[in-house]
Amino acid sequence: MELSEHIKTANVEDVTLIRPFLPSLKGTLCVTSHHLLFSDRKEDGSRQLLVLLRNIDAIEKRALGSSGTVTIKCKDLLVLQLEIPGMEECLNIASSIETLSSLESVTEMYPFFYRPSHLSLQGPWGLSSADQYYKETERLLDRWRISNVNSDYSVCPSYPRAVIVPRDVDDDMLVRSARFRHGGRFPVLSYCHHRNQMVIMRSSQPLTGANRKRCKEDELLLQAVIDSSELGYIMDLRSAQQAQQSRMTGGGFESKSCYNHWKRLHRYHERGKVLQESLIKLVEACADSSHSVDRWLSKLENSKWLSHVHNALTTAGLIAECVERDGHSVLVHGSEGTDSTLLVTSLAQLILDPASRTVYGFLCLLEREWIQAGHPFQQRCGHSAHSHTRLKHECPSFLLLLDCVWQIWRQFPLALEFSEALLLRLTREVYASDYGTFLCNSEQERCALGVKENTYCLFRSLLKPEIEEKYLNPLYEHTDLAIWPSVHPQSLQLWTGLFLRWTEYSQNMEDARDEIWNIKKEHRERIGPDQNNHTTSIHCETFTPFENLMDELTVL
Amino acid sequence: MHKSVDIMSFPPTLTVFFSIKETPVTLTVPLGVISRIEKMGGATSRGENSYGLDITCKDMRNLRFALKQEGHSRRDIFDILFKYAFPLSHGMQPFAYLSQEKYEENGWNVYEPMEEFRRQGLPNNEWRITFINKSYELCDTYPTILVVPYKAPDEDLRRVGTFRSRCRIPVLSWFHKQNHAVITRCSQPLVGMSGKRNKDDERYLDLIREANGTTKLTIYDARPNVNAVANKATGGGYEGEDAYQNAELVFLDIHNIHVMRESLKKLKDIVYPNVEDSHWLSSLESTHWLEHIKLVLSGAIQVADKVSSGNSVMVHCSDGWDRTAQLTSLSMLMLDSYYRTLQGFQVLLEKEWISFGHKFASRIGHGDKNHADQDRSPIFLQFIDCVWQMTKQFPTAFEFNERLLVVILDHLYSCRFGTFLYNCENARDTNDVRTKTVSLWSLINSDTASYTNPFYTPESSRVLYPVASMRHLELWVNYYIRWNPRIQHQQQSPVEQRYKELLALRDQYLKKLEELQLTDSTPSSTHLTNSSTPNAATPNQHITHLQTPF
Repeated sequence: MELSEHIKTANVEDVTLIRPFLPSLKGTLCVTSHHLLFSDRKEDGSRQLLVLLRNIDAIEKRALGSSGTVTIKCKDLLVLQLEIPGMEECLNIASSIETLSSLESVTEMYPFFYRPSHLSLQGPWGLSSADQYYKETERLLDRWRISNVNSDYSVCPSYPRAVIVPRDVDDDMLVRSARFRHGGRFPVLSYCHHRNQMVIMRSSQPLTGANRKRCKEDELLLQAVIDSSELGYIMDLRSAQQAQQSRMTGGGFESKSCYNHWKRLHRYHERGKVLQESLIKLVEACADSSHSVDRWLSKLENSKWLSHVHNALTTAGLIAECVERDGHSVLVHGSEGTDSTLLVTSLAQLILDPASRTVYGFLCLLEREWIQAGHPFQQRCGHSAHSHTRLKHECPSFLLLLDCVWQIWRQFPLALEFSEALLLRLTREVYASDYGTFLCNSEQERCALGVKENTYCLFRSLLKPEIEEKYLNPLYEHTDLAIWPSVHPQSLQLWTGLFLRWTEYSQNMEDARDEIWNIKKEHRERIGPDQNNHTTSIHCETFTPFENLMDELTVL
Repeated sequence: MHKSVDIMSFPPTLTVFFSIKETPVTLTVPLGVISRIEKMGGATSRGENSYGLDITCKDMRNLRFALKQEGHSRRDIFDILFKYAFPLSHGMQPFAYLSQEKYEENGWNVYEPMEEFRRQGLPNNEWRITFINKSYELCDTYPTILVVPYKAPDEDLRRVGTFRSRCRIPVLSWFHKQNHAVITRCSQPLVGMSGKRNKDDERYLDLIREANGTTKLTIYDARPNVNAVANKATGGGYEGEDAYQNAELVFLDIHNIHVMRESLKKLKDIVYPNVEDSHWLSSLESTHWLEHIKLVLSGAIQVADKVSSGNSVMVHCSDGWDRTAQLTSLSMLMLDSYYRTLQGFQVLLEKEWISFGHKFASRIGHGDKNHADQDRSPIFLQFIDCVWQMTKQFPTAFEFNERLLVVILDHLYSCRFGTFLYNCENARDTNDVRTKTVSLWSLINSDTASYTNPFYTPESSRVLYPVASMRHLELWVNYYIRWNPRIQHQQQSPVEQRYKELLALRDQYLKKLEELQLTDSTPSSTHLTNSSTPNAATPNQHITHLQTPF
């Protein structure tokens, strides 16, 4: 069935569009296979609104005499209202949108049809890979190697073809270790610290099961990560009790007796449904337009969103502290190792690694640690906070990551090269995009569907030919130091730029940003293109020390 | 541990020397911030740290010193502290009178009422300046120079005075140059239980309204409606509809000084000595502090909005020196970009707060041992918090930075400067504040770079309307929780720090450049100007190399 066959009514005239904080408009509404287009068709500077159907999370219709009102709730949290004359047209439009916004087949999605004239499909796709990271990171050469054991995705379906593993561990051992890990996600290198060569590894839980199975190769693999004299830490993102219970369903944890050079810490992270519901509650509280917002702070607290932010930053800080301060390597996993694990390993890198704080470095980090590492974007981002459909695998892990990054950005206004605008753009793209970057659940799926051959890469387009100014932080200044975010509730703020973007007027902040850019440009004009770095050395940032949280943890 | 109360130093401070693991630590606290000193424990108290001194400060912290019980070690220190922390209760002068400090700038020259009114475009044929209060005869808590409707003769002002609480008659605070609308301020009318009327007051309000042809004068009564009604019982009240037919009355629901005091006390409880981490947000909510901030800000927004659309307004509460000052000064800050400059902000404080008799002495209790006085209230702190909220929402609109606000609050209590002493101009004149003490603005204006916002972009005509919704208000962590060691690290904003460094560096290089040019120009001074472009460009390139965008 052709997509266009779902369109029962393509055009309606005299539709009224109502948006928050803007005057309502009258005009023509069109439904195409992938877009909702509204235009007031004015001769002088007509106003248009183009909404990707994929961006629509929920649609509500209401009859109003002979006409109908359709409320469209988008995944980027925008809520629109359309008043459509004629009940039949209204119902037709609503049902077309409903069908076309929830297409299951990836190749029918817009990225496969998006063909802008200025881009070519021939160019390279993506920015980074394990291969490239390995080549660029000299410090890895001695003790680490690239393994192509997963080149046909048979060892681990959710891993990329190439992964970085200890040099002394051969592919056979990797295969055996993979059989002992949930979903085949054997321990691989995520980050190697530039100061002391300590590493962050990630994996999924070991399948010890009820009868405490062991896997010699898995034990050796981990042993090869550290010297025999050293001690490593395993950061298990479940409570000790949960880890115990998971043995009943075939999962488990690394017991002290089998992995005696590794010390296990448990830090409980909420997952899946709980996170999704937290997001829903938060968005509800933000959209509450009743004037009795005097309970706002309680509602914000009850949504628990900020406590998830707190939790993620705390664990990331802890991992970074193990690596930088105490000089230990860390293995991170929860159950599947595809959500919280990626969240905390990427945040830890942002704290530790100055290279990941540039636009390029940050996008590379996202590509390696989320897209190639097999975060199931399609499942997690199927719906956002408005949907009425029963949730299956939805979970805003990636949104939580971006929020945490925003908190760091806010606390260290000089440390990140990118701006809030880039983070906001990513929050939109991950749910609905012209680009193929966030499609599918793994490299294997992307490969099978020819995503790289048939769609454009978001990250490449963000960087080409020159990064758009609005994505840059005018105050950025490179620092080699680790940046330790403060994680206290008093230091964490609601990300108003995202959650209150459509509910309250946020123009002030945008104006202010523009003015800061102007100040910077004036300086630059006076100075000429040839800037200098003379002053970098004299500047020493006052970084917040991350207090030692180690004693609060259950050390097993 | 060694403590010394240094009454010879200026300002007098409590300095405590002690060691933590052999590292000497010094803690210096100006005596002015001390609100209460108590002995804790007795000679027979048991347990560690049960005997000593407990010092409550006005700036959101308490200090507790544990002493050894032997030999009544605390008696002397307690007596000295008690005497010098509360000089007024011991027949002594405030610390500011001991000042020998010298500054490049004289802060007492910052505010000249006539000059400020001239800047606003006054007097004109609608508004005149009157000296009726030159010896504080009309109203002892008002300044000497007042601006009133052109058509209101001085005799009328006296008669209006009889109908306004403490004779605080409606006078002009601010004049809108384009639409001629005004903000006027006063105290409540003395309506009483019987619903008295006063023809002179009614006519006077009509003159205010007529000055720019406003159809209805809007009267903003800062109080909640019920409080305004309750005030009738003590002789006060509000402008009734029948009596003032050309006016509309709006209640702004801002609570009184007692409510604000209790709210801040609750806030202190959740941030000091330990920050309430679990359920932080709902604890914060239960203090209602941000809710009060919201009401004050949204009141000021209404005032500013009315005025910018061409309607004259009048603002009062009960006495017209607390909530009224908050509302007029905040709305002026929204309307008039001059007040957003470093100098203009000082003028605003001098004018709306100091000269119009906000009772700083009673609200802060300078040098007074009576810590439980019912007159104490953090009204001025609340105002500064509102200003801070605005600077957060408009990061480029204010010439001054957060540091200025913190320093103002620190010296609100320190008594090192005469600026915030006494309740009104009358008392300041009697006590020769201007001649015998130093102004806080002397300190500030001798080092303006420290208080400058690097992102300031002057914009003359813009009215700032902050979003006064709870969702957009933040707790001012850098002030309220600054004594907490874990917050302290974040205090100095890296942006301002960096900006200062760059400015210093530029100055340094410019100086070097000057020197180079001097030595360079000695052989032939005409050489540079005559030479071809590449050569002439050299000095320029020098400068440009050394400046860096931040």
